[in-house]
Amino acid sequence: MTRRRLRLARRTLTALDAAANRLYGWRWNPLYQSGTVAVVMLLALLGTGLYLVLVYRLGAPYASMVRIDQDVWLGRWMRSLHRYASDGFIIAAVVHAWRMLAQRRSWGPRTLAWVSGGALLAAGLVEAWTGFVMVWDSFGERLAREGARLLDTLPLFSEPLSRIFAGETAVPSAFFFVNLFVHIGLPLGLGVGLWLHVSKLACPTLLPPRALSWAIVAAFTIAAIVRPAALGDAADPLRLAVDTPINLPSAFWLPWSEQLPPLVVFGVATAVCVAFLLVPALTARARTGALAASVVDPRLCTGCNQCPYDCPWEAITMVARTDDRPTLVAQVDPVLCVSCGICAGSCAPMGVGPPGHSGRDQLDALRSLTLPALRASMVARCVVFCCAEAPASHRAALRQRGALVREVRCAGNLHSSAVELALRGGASGVLVFACPPRDCAGREGPKWLGERLFNEREAELQSRVDRRRVGVGTMAAGDLGGTLEFYDKFVRDAAALAPAVPASDLDVALECVTVPGAGDAE
Amino acid sequence: MIAARTVIRVVAALVATTAGLAVLAAASAVSLPWHGADTAALRLSWSARPERIEVCRALSDAEIEALNEHMRQRVECDGRSATYALRVRVDGVLLGDEVVRGGGLRHDRPLHLLQTYEVSPGLRRIQLEFSRRERASGDSVSGASVAAPEADTGIFAGRAAREMSERGRRTRAAVPPRMTLDTALAFAPQQVILVTFDPDGRRLVVRADAAPRRVP
Repeated sequence: MTRRRLRLARRTLTALDAAANRLYGWRWNPLYQSGTVAVVMLLALLGTGLYLVLVYRLGAPYASMVRIDQDVWLGRWMRSLHRYASDGFIIAAVVHAWRMLAQRRSWGPRTLAWVSGGALLAAGLVEAWTGFVMVWDSFGERLAREGARLLDTLPLFSEPLSRIFAGETAVPSAFFFVNLFVHIGLPLGLGVGLWLHVSKLACPTLLPPRALSWAIVAAFTIAAIVRPAALGDAADPLRLAVDTPINLPSAFWLPWSEQLPPLVVFGVATAVCVAFLLVPALTARARTGALAASVVDPRLCTGCNQCPYDCPWEAITMVARTDDRPTLVAQVDPVLCVSCGICAGSCAPMGVGPPGHSGRDQLDALRSLTLPALRASMVARCVVFCCAEAPASHRAALRQRGALVREVRCAGNLHSSAVELALRGGASGVLVFACPPRDCAGREGPKWLGERLFNEREAELQSRVDRRRVGVGTMAAGDLGGTLEFYDKFVRDAAALAPAVPASDLDVALECVTVPGAGDAE
Repeated sequence: MIAARTVIRVVAALVATTAGLAVLAAASAVSLPWHGADTAALRLSWSARPERIEVCRALSDAEIEALNEHMRQRVECDGRSATYALRVRVDGVLLGDEVVRGGGLRHDRPLHLLQTYEVSPGLRRIQLEFSRRERASGDSVSGASVAAPEADTGIFAGRAAREMSERGRRTRAAVPPRMTLDTALAFAPQQVILVTFDPDGRRLVVRADAAPRRVP
């Protein structure tokens, strides 16, 4: 049942990604950037919140809001931007969680990120709650009453909080002070939560590309100016408001909560939290086969220290060797390893990688499957390496066009020697299709691939390889036209070169084994 | 020259973004019903200290002598807090019949009452009764004789009088054994009329802008 739901979630996500790619292109697709968009929203909230807190008056909350609203040139759109950014934060965080769940990136080493992400989302909802109460319009009163009703069930306060809003006396400033204190104090907790959220990553990306960040802030600002956020009627404990303008993204639960007894509300909230916390356990998969952690062959490890640099999860450390060689040796922590295989592409002597996906395994697969097909082909063909997560329809279309398509765990998993071997085997060119950079399950796959093939990053593509016959593209859902266009152009350019000639004067695998001071490596 | 396809794509992206933001702005303030348009409410809200139902006795001189000096009290009481029955009738129809207890696990803390009853707008006869459920008298301290107050000397001089005074204050601070309110109130649509306890007058009073009318 869980698998079926996850497949449905994945299909839905892919369909939405495809639609967004068609509209915005993969570089500007905000769905790929959901996590970082949430951070941009958080920064917008901080900026606008700092202004608003300066003009907010605890003694007259609604009056100060009216005053802010009447300041057409700054206050109104600041408040509206603050409101819309809080909605944007909630929506972006939900989309991000959904993406991680659908892509099954919510278990194992990612458990801390999942749990802390859930806590951040919950904190965002509480933050929104206190923020709306600060306004003290009819919606704020409604939220405050509901919060008091729920809290009164717990044995926390000697006097029921609900009596604050009975109308006997004016709501005390102390209530608004505590509310403001929580509203300002919680972002500090959000900062800690964000740090925890990315603490397992070697190179966390906190912000979208700068242009996209500014575009999002600009779009929200325009929305705030064109359609300022509504301010309800002033809260009045002695008047029954017929309706209130409620904020759906952050108070979607309110209509249900009001209808249920407090204990049922707490029960449902607890069940949701428990279900959220159980997701890592429910979506976990056995760490065998394709998901087995990377292993190191100490005979091949030269102690170059590249794989710890490249590992996005800081799962590899260099430790002292147990033999008499003078170098360190890489060691993989299987608890932290997500089996992305990026280490396999980073190791020149091909001594590290997930079982079955190391550089040597890639060469073996090429020799047994792809090279015979190249030799049997009457015409020069292009070898295309695709990420296993790439859309199946794109791969099928490339096959129909005559490409020899091979899958790798992640584009960053591909060893540069496999590229060289394919070219030496007679391929007219080698094209690698990676996922969009912010949608890479291995996080750094496209980045490290480009560096290794074109910028001499270890394990670099050897200088003897003709770079004109090597290309790196992006394969994004919904952009089949872009994929085929890129492929066709690459094939045309490769065809314009001198015909590819198979070469067997070099054993690529042996060439890579250059262990200093270890002539007996094999 | 910009290709037509690119222009179409940019326009589509702008339209989609605008639509998304419009949906966001609309979702930001969705009008949601809260109370009926033709509804008013009677709200009861007060805090008061419940009476103590106690059995008190005066300690003998020997018993007092056996206590440490700072723990000597001439009257020793054992008891519990009273509970109250609240009955609310609107136009003769019983809307509420509840038991009200003091706060805390032992119900010995002040009682806090907050009840809201929906009523139809118009002139309504409101009858409230808040009465102690226990039959015992509120404080039996008067039955215990306080002997030999002159025995207190030094810093404890006048202690017996202070004990009496404190007991009297507690009795006066407690809610009366029975309070009633029988009046007619004009409820406007959406109006909430508040009935609360006036600790100075020791009675239930109507608050809000609706002045009580005569009983029909």
